[in-house]
Amino acid sequence: MFDYLANPSRFMRLANRFLPALVVLAVTTGAVGLYQGLVTSPPDYQQGDTVRIIYIHVPAAWLALFGYVGLGICGIFYIVWRHPLADVAARAIAPVGAVFALLTLITGSLWGKPMWGAWWVWDARLTSMLILFFFYLGYMALANGFDRPERGSRPAALLALVGLINVPIVKFSVDWWNTLHQPASLLRSGGPAVDPTMLTPLVLMLIAAHAYFAIIVIYRMRALLGERRLTAMLLRPRGHA
Amino acid sequence: MMIPFFAQIRRDLAIAWQHRQDLAVMLVFFVIIIALFPLAIGPRQAVLTELGVPIIWIAALLAILAGFDRLFAQDVRDGWLDQVSLSQLGLGWYALAKAVSHWLTAGLPLLVMTPIMAALLDIPMAQLPVLITALLVGSLALTLLGVIGAALAEGARHAGALLALLVLPLAVPILIFGVLASNHDSGIVSPHLMLLGAVLAVLLAIAPLVAASALGTGETETGL
Repeated sequence: MFDYLANPSRFMRLANRFLPALVVLAVTTGAVGLYQGLVTSPPDYQQGDTVRIIYIHVPAAWLALFGYVGLGICGIFYIVWRHPLADVAARAIAPVGAVFALLTLITGSLWGKPMWGAWWVWDARLTSMLILFFFYLGYMALANGFDRPERGSRPAALLALVGLINVPIVKFSVDWWNTLHQPASLLRSGGPAVDPTMLTPLVLMLIAAHAYFAIIVIYRMRALLGERRLTAMLLRPRGHA
Repeated sequence: MMIPFFAQIRRDLAIAWQHRQDLAVMLVFFVIIIALFPLAIGPRQAVLTELGVPIIWIAALLAILAGFDRLFAQDVRDGWLDQVSLSQLGLGWYALAKAVSHWLTAGLPLLVMTPIMAALLDIPMAQLPVLITALLVGSLALTLLGVIGAALAEGARHAGALLALLVLPLAVPILIFGVLASNHDSGIVSPHLMLLGAVLAVLLAIAPLVAASALGTGETETGL
């Protein structure tokens, strides 16, 4: 299976076959989810209409974590099996994950201003998302930090592996730090359970966001593979013209 | 195995001794960072006493990591690294030897300077043993993290800035547990010190492996 997909053009043919279905899925669930979330779902009894930001905020946070795990898995595949597509996939995922982490922080602070009265609070969750964002930036800087682009693949894969071990430790330490310093009661978000009227659009938006993530990653992989092919063609010695 | 390992450490210490001015620069850097905080905060003794431990930790973190961007550069350029990878020492032990010699030339002097810095910041004398113990464990962990970062960033453009970007987010647990352990007021051993030790143990296990893997086939690696 993995060997079969090691051929980039074979992989892209397969991915291109899935692409239309993913687009349809993302557009339909996204449209219904947004309509339900923004129009038909009721405002929260405490938070009013500001609660609607969760339909963006929660999917973005999920995907930021999803992308980070994806980087780690790609790192394992690259280091252990030297799978050439793992490197392409990781390079395709990293900026997307970083943007979702940033989106999580921005939507969170937009919600925090009216709810907590501050754009930013040094809460454990916010802080660990911020550090995850920095981790993405470091990954991208390392992968693209060498004069020959492919030279960055191995260090970047190793960094993803170190991150897979270390980022949970960061999360744990930040939780520990926060619980000692400020009471968690201040930072409870909405009500205890999510009502079905809000849960349905949230789940729809989660599906849409994951499909969107897959579409963007496939497009980016396609672009990266094309770029490499172009470089290889340019480097090839010319025959007699 | 142990003989080449110690030979490598002796070699690096001898080189460090030849460049002992660099060591002095690092120590002055440490002192200056600490001296800048009171200038920025203002000479309010109560605030400084409270912030003293975090200030020392931040200064130690920056001073230790500042020395890492050139850790492997010379050995790569003059072919020493190639010799090591062919020798019985192996790159993993080599990376560990680098960590030991770097800690002896950067971490240990900082620990020696710390009591003086603590006096500058008006940290109570009774707190010193706790602070030094935590700094001892923390500086070892930071050194191993720095070795990982230096091995990953070796050969990159702007390796220094890149190293900071890679290592600082991952150094968060060391900073948090270190400061908490330093502020512990009943006995030296605290839960935070144990957690700091656990971080050190994890890094001790993975740092030589990661560094060896990054240094090993880095240059001959071919992409897709």
